[in-house]
Amino acid sequence: MMGPGIPWYLAISSILFSIGVAGVLLRRSPLIVLLSLEIMLNAANLSFVGFSRLFGEMDGQIFALAVMAVAAAEVCVGLGLIVAMARRRLALDVDTLTELRG
Amino acid sequence: MVNGAWVCLLAPLAGFLAITLAGDRITRRQAGILSTASVFVGFAGAVVAFIDALSREPDDRAVTTTAWTWLAAGDFKVSIDLLVDPLSITMMLVVTGIGGLIVLYSNGYMEGEDEERRYFAYMSLFVFSMLMLVMGGNLLLLLVGWGLVGLASYLLIGFYHDRSSAIDAAKKAFVINTIGDAAMALALFLAIAKVGSLDYSTVFDAAQSGELSDTVVTLLALGLLAGAVAKSAQIPLHTWLPDAMEGPTPVSALIHAATMVTAGVYLICRTHLIFQAAPDIQHLAAVLGLITLLVAGGIALVQWDIKRVIAYSTMSQIGYMFVGAGIGAYPFAMFHLVTHAFFKALLFLAAGLVIHHLDGEQDIRKMGGLAKSMPYTRWTFLIGSLSLAGIPIFAGFWSKDAIISSTLAYGGALGWILYVGALLGTLLTGLYTFRLYFRVFHGEPSELVTAHTHGEHSDEGARSMLLPVGVLALGATFVGFLAIPGVWEPFEKWLEPVVPPLVQATTAQDWFSSLISVALASLGIFVAWRAFQARRELVPDGFARTALEHKLWFDELYDVAVSRPAQLVAMRLRDRIEVPVVQGGLDEVAEGAVRGAAATASVQSGLLRTYALAFTVAVAVLTLVFLVVR
Repeated sequence: MMGPGIPWYLAISSILFSIGVAGVLLRRSPLIVLLSLEIMLNAANLSFVGFSRLFGEMDGQIFALAVMAVAAAEVCVGLGLIVAMARRRLALDVDTLTELRG
Repeated sequence: MVNGAWVCLLAPLAGFLAITLAGDRITRRQAGILSTASVFVGFAGAVVAFIDALSREPDDRAVTTTAWTWLAAGDFKVSIDLLVDPLSITMMLVVTGIGGLIVLYSNGYMEGEDEERRYFAYMSLFVFSMLMLVMGGNLLLLLVGWGLVGLASYLLIGFYHDRSSAIDAAKKAFVINTIGDAAMALALFLAIAKVGSLDYSTVFDAAQSGELSDTVVTLLALGLLAGAVAKSAQIPLHTWLPDAMEGPTPVSALIHAATMVTAGVYLICRTHLIFQAAPDIQHLAAVLGLITLLVAGGIALVQWDIKRVIAYSTMSQIGYMFVGAGIGAYPFAMFHLVTHAFFKALLFLAAGLVIHHLDGEQDIRKMGGLAKSMPYTRWTFLIGSLSLAGIPIFAGFWSKDAIISSTLAYGGALGWILYVGALLGTLLTGLYTFRLYFRVFHGEPSELVTAHTHGEHSDEGARSMLLPVGVLALGATFVGFLAIPGVWEPFEKWLEPVVPPLVQATTAQDWFSSLISVALASLGIFVAWRAFQARRELVPDGFARTALEHKLWFDELYDVAVSRPAQLVAMRLRDRIEVPVVQGGLDEVAEGAVRGAAATASVQSGLLRTYALAFTVAVAVLTLVFLVVR
């Protein structure tokens, strides 16, 4: 097999995923939270593709494509929400958006 | 033959569906026409089946046709079968022929009522149900029709739903009929358990061959008899029929005189092989019929409501049919059913003309002297009365005397008791029938009648009402010639392949009993005439009158024995179980749900990052657990 082995891919993937989790948990701007979510999704994509290459099957790659489509849709909705919030001059801070409190 | 039968069955159903689905997109008049047409199309189908059957050999006239298998559970199968044989064709002709005339009459009678469309939809539904009952090719379809006619009867008795008495009567009729339905259902369960089939032939073979124990056959017959007794308003399940007169008069004519209440007689004839295997139960049917015919005839002597008198006479005449069926004179029981359908429908419809003319008045004490202002009604009513009383040449004479002479031919203690009772019944019939006739049509016009008389020839009713009455009067006069003992007996020959009679009266017996019964009926008419002239009541004041006026306290007895205890138990159950346990328990469940929801709601902080942290921690913990456990 050419290039670096599967452990490298997985390592990078977990590092990216952790960065994403940290971003979601620590940042308060919805824009950054969305961005961090994308990083997590792509970390998962990286493992998919890595395993796909390891087993020589196309399933993982197909999955990665599907995840991209989902991610794109999600960004559309998320960004739409953020723009709507900005238009209404709401504070762009997830900690102040607590209207669904029980 | 089969096609005619299908048309006959489905045309009224189509009429019912069309009127129901069209709603108020059709006018009331159109609904009436649609309903009438649907029943007459059914009659045409029945006639086609009849002619087709006539063209076949007598032994080849029974045809069973299966549409599809309706339900199957293991070896047990029930199909949608139609059985077309002389017995069911007879019933089809009666139901659709007389039913069609009565629905036609309704067009005039119900004119101007609210909700006529609902009425006509119910009428079509009833005709369909009744046809289902008589054409069903197995016991289950019979029970389906049995239940459906009960429903249609309930709906039509309670047609005037703003009258509380009508609603009570409808409920009473339904509950008492349900007792019979339940007994029949139990008999059917027994048949399924012991025979494994509900096909007529299979069950009959099992009952005849002796492979079932006597107890089973007896219980089977008893269940069927209970159903027949409830539907045909025989003692002890008779109390609903007089109250059922709360429905519109054509309904009384169709359901509570001509067709539905005779279903019990049809049932006994149809399942006569079961009854013959259980002779005790068959005799019980005859005895119940005898008691009913005497008791109902007695009660009819003191009633003041024109429709109730006719209702009690219906019970009494069905009593004759039960006597006939109970001693095995099936063709005569069926023959009396047919003639009775004619003259009783005629009496009801003529009474309807009177009631219509007097704007809904039904009390015969307020009537009198209607003969002048309503000549047509008077003559037709007289024909019906003569036929009912069994005066020669009129239809009732031939059929009733055939039953009476059969009891004589049956012999034995039972035969003699039935014979004497039946003869006594003819006396009662003459009395109550002509008490009614004289009261309503003879004497000086009462105030009410004068108030409703306009000119010499006042309007007796719409043409759609007069025509059916005329046709029925012709029938009530001439149908009897279908069975003249010893001379011309096409009716018996027609039914013989299906229901062979067990007894056959000799010519001498026929003459003997006819002479006595005609003499007794004439005596009854004469006494009624004398009493009317002397302005006396037939039953003098005293214990007998009180007892008859209270209908022998059957209602009171059932009230004390069944209704009150049931209400008491229900009240107790409500206080002890419903309120504290069921209702209280539900309250506690609801309160618990509220408390739990409040506790869960506080977890929902609305802070996005808290949720995300919870996810993450949960996933991390799950992953760790997964790794460790593996």
